[in-house]
Amino acid sequence: MNEKYIQILGLAIAAAFGVFIVFLYAVEPRSIEEISHKAVQTYDNVTTKGQVILGRYEVDQAQFQEGLNAFRNDNFIAARDSFQRADPESRDPAAQFYIAYSYYRQGWGRITNDDELFMKSSEALQRVTLLDPNFRSTDADLKLATPAELRSELEDGLRVTISDFNPLRVFRERK
Amino acid sequence: MPIRTTEIDKEIITTGDPRNVTGELIEAAEAAETGESYIVVAGQQHSPELKTTSHQRHYVRYFLLPIIFLTVTLLGGLRISGVDGSLIFLKPALLCLIFASILLALFFRGGMINLSGWIDESLSTIKNVANGTILLTLFAASTQLFNSLIPEQGMPFWVVAFCFFWTLWNNLFADLDPVKLLRSLGGLFGLAFVAKYLVLANLTAPVGQSWLRAIIENPAQQTFTWLLDLPQFAAATGYIQFFAVMLYLLGLYLLPATTRDQK
Repeated sequence: MNEKYIQILGLAIAAAFGVFIVFLYAVEPRSIEEISHKAVQTYDNVTTKGQVILGRYEVDQAQFQEGLNAFRNDNFIAARDSFQRADPESRDPAAQFYIAYSYYRQGWGRITNDDELFMKSSEALQRVTLLDPNFRSTDADLKLATPAELRSELEDGLRVTISDFNPLRVFRERK
Repeated sequence: MPIRTTEIDKEIITTGDPRNVTGELIEAAEAAETGESYIVVAGQQHSPELKTTSHQRHYVRYFLLPIIFLTVTLLGGLRISGVDGSLIFLKPALLCLIFASILLALFFRGGMINLSGWIDESLSTIKNVANGTILLTLFAASTQLFNSLIPEQGMPFWVVAFCFFWTLWNNLFADLDPVKLLRSLGGLFGLAFVAKYLVLANLTAPVGQSWLRAIIENPAQQTFTWLLDLPQFAAATGYIQFFAVMLYLLGLYLLPATTRDQK
C-alpha cells in the first residue's frame, strides 16, 4: 500500500479509537453491557442537539399525547416523565407549562400544600416565560391558562396567611 | 543499450533511457552472479526487501504506534471497583498533564524524538498531520500513564507526584541519550508501579468487611487505609495497569527518532 494511504488509514483508525476513548471517559459506563446503552443515549442526545442547532427540533407528539392522557388521569409523575421525553431539550413552552401544572396539581392539598412541589412548579414556569413570554394555554381543562395566573396561585399556596387557618378551606377546588 | 521496460512495484521503469536512469543499471545475469538483487535507478536502490521493510516501517509507525498509545490512554484511567467489580474511568489530574508535557520535553531534549523529523514544512501535509497525531497519542498515553501510576488521592498522591517531579526535573537537565533515557524511564515507571500496585495495594484493607471485624482481623491494613486514604480497587486493576505500562514502554521502544526515510 502506498505510504499516503497508510497514513490516511492510520489517521482514520486513530480518530475512531480516540472518539471511543473520549466517549468512554465522558459517559463512564459501569460495565461492558452498559456501554451500548450509553452509546444509544449519547446518540439520541447528539441527534436532538443537532436538531436544535439546525432549527428542526420538534416535540415528540406521541409522547406528548401520552403525557396529556396521564395528566388528565391525575397520574402526574408519569405525565411529567412523558412530557420530559417529548421535550428533552426543554424548548417547548406547552410541554413545560404542563410540567409546571402537574407539579401544582400534585402538590395541591385541601388542608396543606406540598411546598417542595410548588417550588418545582415555579422553576418550570420560569422556563415557560423564557421560551414564550406571552404563552397562553388552549387547554380548556386548565383553569389557570397563563404562567402569571399559575404563579400567583403558587405564591398564594407558599405564603402562610391567616386564611390558611380558615376551616372552610377544605371546600375549595383545585384549579 | 537497448531500451527495455521493467515493472517494479507496479511502476513501469524504462531501462536504457538516459532520462530515467542516472545510476548504474546491473543486468539480471550479472546481478545473479554478483548476488546483488537490486537495480540502481536514479541513484537509489530499489529492491523488494527494501520495499517490504519500508512498508513494515510505515505500518508500525502509522497503525501500530497510535493503537498502542491509544490503548494505554484507554487503560491508564481504568480501575475495577473492589466493592462490586464495576468499571471506574478516572479522568487524569491536571498534574498528569504537566508531567506528560515535561516528559515530552525530555523526549525532545534526550534525542528520542527529533521534532524536525516529525513535523516539518519539507514533509507533505498528510505526513505532518499523521505524525502530529502520533505525537498527540503519545502525549495522551503519557498523561494516562501518570494517571495510572500516581495514587488517586491523599498523602500518597502528593508523595509520589513529588518524586516524579523531582526525577523528571533532574532528567530535564541531564545529558541523556535515547537508550539511557528509555532505561531511566523504564526504571522510574517500574518503581512507581511497585510502589502503588504492590506496596500500597497490600496496605489497603480488603473490602466487604464490617468496620469492627476489619479492625480485629486486619488492624494495620485498616489503619493504613484510613490514614493514607487508600481507595479499594480489585486486584484486576493491577494486572490491567501492568499491561498498560508494558505497552507504553513497547511503544517508546518502537518510536523512531525521525520519520524521514533513511536513504
